[in-house]
This record gives sequence, C-alpha cells and structure tokens, in this order.
Amino acid sequence: MSDRRSHFHDELAELEHTMYDVGLRAEHMVALAVSAVVDRNETAADEVLAMDAEIDRLYAATHERWMQLMARQQPMASDLRIMSVLLHLNITLERMGDQTVNMVKLAKATSGLPHNERIAGQIREMGDLVRPMIRTALQAFALRDMDEALLLPAMDEPVDRLNRNMYREVVACGPDQHLLEWATRMMMVSRALERIGDQAVDIGEQVAFLVTGEVREFNDHVDR
Amino acid sequence: MTSQLTTERHALEIEPVFDIDSLNVYYGDFRAVKDVSLPVAGNEITALIGPSGCGKTTVLRCLNRMNDLIEGARVEGWVRYHGINLYDPGVDPVEVRRRIGMVFQKPNPFPKSIYDNVAFGPRIARLQGDLDDLVEESLTRAALWDEVRDKLGDPALALSGGQQQRLCIARAIATSPDVLLMDEPCSALDPIATLRIEELMFQLKKDFTIVIVTHNMQQAARVSDRTAFLSVDVNDRGQRTGRLVEFDTTDKIFTAPSEKDTEDYITGRFG
Repeated sequence: MSDRRSHFHDELAELEHTMYDVGLRAEHMVALAVSAVVDRNETAADEVLAMDAEIDRLYAATHERWMQLMARQQPMASDLRIMSVLLHLNITLERMGDQTVNMVKLAKATSGLPHNERIAGQIREMGDLVRPMIRTALQAFALRDMDEALLLPAMDEPVDRLNRNMYREVVACGPDQHLLEWATRMMMVSRALERIGDQAVDIGEQVAFLVTGEVREFNDHVDR
Repeated sequence: MTSQLTTERHALEIEPVFDIDSLNVYYGDFRAVKDVSLPVAGNEITALIGPSGCGKTTVLRCLNRMNDLIEGARVEGWVRYHGINLYDPGVDPVEVRRRIGMVFQKPNPFPKSIYDNVAFGPRIARLQGDLDDLVEESLTRAALWDEVRDKLGDPALALSGGQQQRLCIARAIATSPDVLLMDEPCSALDPIATLRIEELMFQLKKDFTIVIVTHNMQQAARVSDRTAFLSVDVNDRGQRTGRLVEFDTTDKIFTAPSEKDTEDYITGRFG
C-alpha cells in the first residue's frame, strides 16, 4: 500500500521518536535524582539540572513543530489521535523532568543534615518502582500495546502505598530537629516520585486513547 | 418512518428524509454502485466522500432522479423520500426535482438577468405570491441580496464565480424545496468564496436538508453532521463499482472511524 502522505507521516514518526527519547531521558533523570537525594551524589544532581535544560529545549521545539503540523497538515482519524497524544506526552514528560529537578533542589537543601537509612531506603525503593513504570509506558506507546499500558495501575499501587506510609516514617524520626527537617523534605521527594508514577499511568491512558479512540481513566487514585 | 442507525458504540434514532435502501445503479450492464443503504436525516448536512469513481455523485443524482436523464442508466433498490419510493412508476420526476433541488460543481446560471434566474423556477411552477418578494427572500437566504439588490437586471454571468454559485443556490431554493443536493459546490471557487458557501450551508440547514458530495475532506469535516465514506472495487476488466464502507457521525468518522478502509483513506494511506 502506498502512503500518499508519507512526508507528513515521516514527520509524525520523528516527533514520536523525540517523545520516546525524552521519556528515556526522564527515566534516567529519576535514577540520578534518587542518587542525588539518597547518596548525596552532587555530580548526579548537576547532571539532572543539565538534562532538564535539554528537555525544556526539546519541549519548546516539539511544541513548535506540533503547531506547524496541525496548521499545515490538518490531521484526521488516527493521525489526529496521535497528534493529541503527542501534545499530552510532551507536557507530561516535561513535568516528569521538573519533578526530578524538585528532588535535586531538595537534595541540595538537605546536604548538611543528618539522614535516616530507613527513609532513604524507601526513597530508593520508590525510584526502583517508578523507573520501570516509565519504561512500560514508553513501550506501550511505541508498540500501541494496550496490555502493556494496563499493567501500569498495578505497578503504581506500591508507589502510592510507600508515599502514604512516608508520613509515619517522618513522625517516627523523633525530636531531633535536624533529622526532622531532613525527613520533612523527604516527604516532598516521596511526593515527587509518586507524581512521576501517576504521570506514567497518564501516558498509559493516552496509549489507550490512541488505540481505541476513547478517553478513559484506568482507575481512581485516592491520593492523586 | 424511522430508521435505526447503529454503530458499535451507540445507536441513534433519526427520522430520515431519505431512506436509501439496497441501492444499485447500472449504466447498461455495468454496475456503478452496489448495495448502498443509508438514511439521510432532516435539517442536517450529510456528506458523501470517497475516491474518484466510488459512485458518490451517482448516489447523489439518484436522490432527485437526475440519472433518469442518462441513457442506459437503471436503478435497483429503493430511495424512499418521506416514505415514498422515488422510483415508483406513479412518481413525477419533475415534481421530485422541484422538492429536491440541486447545485452543481460549476456555477451554471442561465444567460439571463439575476432576477430572471431566481424567478425562473417559480414562473415555471406557477407558484402563487409576489415574485419580487420571493426573489428578494431567496437571494437573502442565499446571502447574496446585499450584493445584488441594486443590479437585479444585470446579467447573472457578470457576477463572480462565488456570487454565481450563491445565485444558483438562490435559484434552487426559490421553488421552496425540502432538500438541497450539492455536487462539489465549491470545487470551482477560491477559498474565500468557499468559506462563504460553507457558512451559508450552516444557515440553510435550518430550513433544508442538505446532501453534499465533496472531494475536500476538510470541507466534509467542517460542514457536515454525518459522513458516508464510499470506496471503489475494480474488477479484472477495469470496471469500477462503488460501495458504502462506513456511515456515521462526522465527529466519529474524522476522529476514530470504525473501518480500516475509512481510516486509510482519511489519513492518506489509501493504496
């Protein structure tokens, strides 16, 4: 079958590839941000800031290209749906990057404070849970794989649980003001990771829209 | 009479103006259109889209028996208009065309004055009432009155292409039809004149049922309420037979069509 709009479809494929690439970068930024927080890895922190600047640049370039394609190509049917999803992904992935920047800023703000291994372990665990979620969301998007997308809510549950539990861990830090200050900031780190998990689920919902043409929420997250 | 339009996601009931049922059109022994069934809802714009040779104009011309004028043309099936089969022997094709007007691809005003173009149909039909009022009302409804009110005696052919097409619309509605059939009404017009016709269609559908054939998918998406996509099968002798692939709301057809053939055509992947 010949493609009578191959030029446009090549452009769409290029934008899609850019989004996939940004997604992989976001996943790497999560790993770096967790290391910046838990290991107090300053190099990782600086790398996150540099990568975020690049994601911001790609966000602006993608948005501009998206506008041009909408104006010039007037996409329809599945082309229109992919355009809608690309716009959504562009925003979602940029925000994921912003969440890792928030984590890094918290890491820098708490660098001189004492820390608690138990809380640090939970932050690390949340990072280890969230990164495969980003991978799964990207894979579902690339392959238009609904089954893969539908895995995401279940993957998100332990992340939500750890985030809810973080409050108790902070309270358990006791009367040490410096430790409490650190732990309170860790609640914000936990919240950032929990948001990234939700954003991965959002991408899964976009994949479902792309495949079926229907907008749907995978499930109701109590604390979203 | 009620037709049930069912899609995978929803069923809706409409009171059709036309109920096209198992329509087959032959030119001699060649079948140009195969088994087309679709309802046309009142006071809506229904668009027929599809590649060249898919039979969309042929289907349109069946709706006011214009194909009768083509030697060797033969229709099988039913085209029910408010429940009456237009192809029943007792039906007068002239009366059919009075009630179901047509606007063609190329503006085709008569070589007469603007006034006489609009007054032509009412005079033939011996319609009662004040002809001047009828001409003014028709030109007003066709969004042309303000441009021609001071030169009604001028030749129609002196108007611009877009004005001529609106004059043809005024001429078509002067006989108080129920339906307007439009066969690529903007294909000879520039983009501004095209937008004027499209805006006019939104006004006209309050009073008329409109069926439009268009090659311009964006136009179908902009103006229509429902869209029928026809495709074409080519046999080993190279003969092309049109068939209906999908009929649904325009929103559905242009965002998430049910059929892959529709999807491929709309996104330009038609092979």
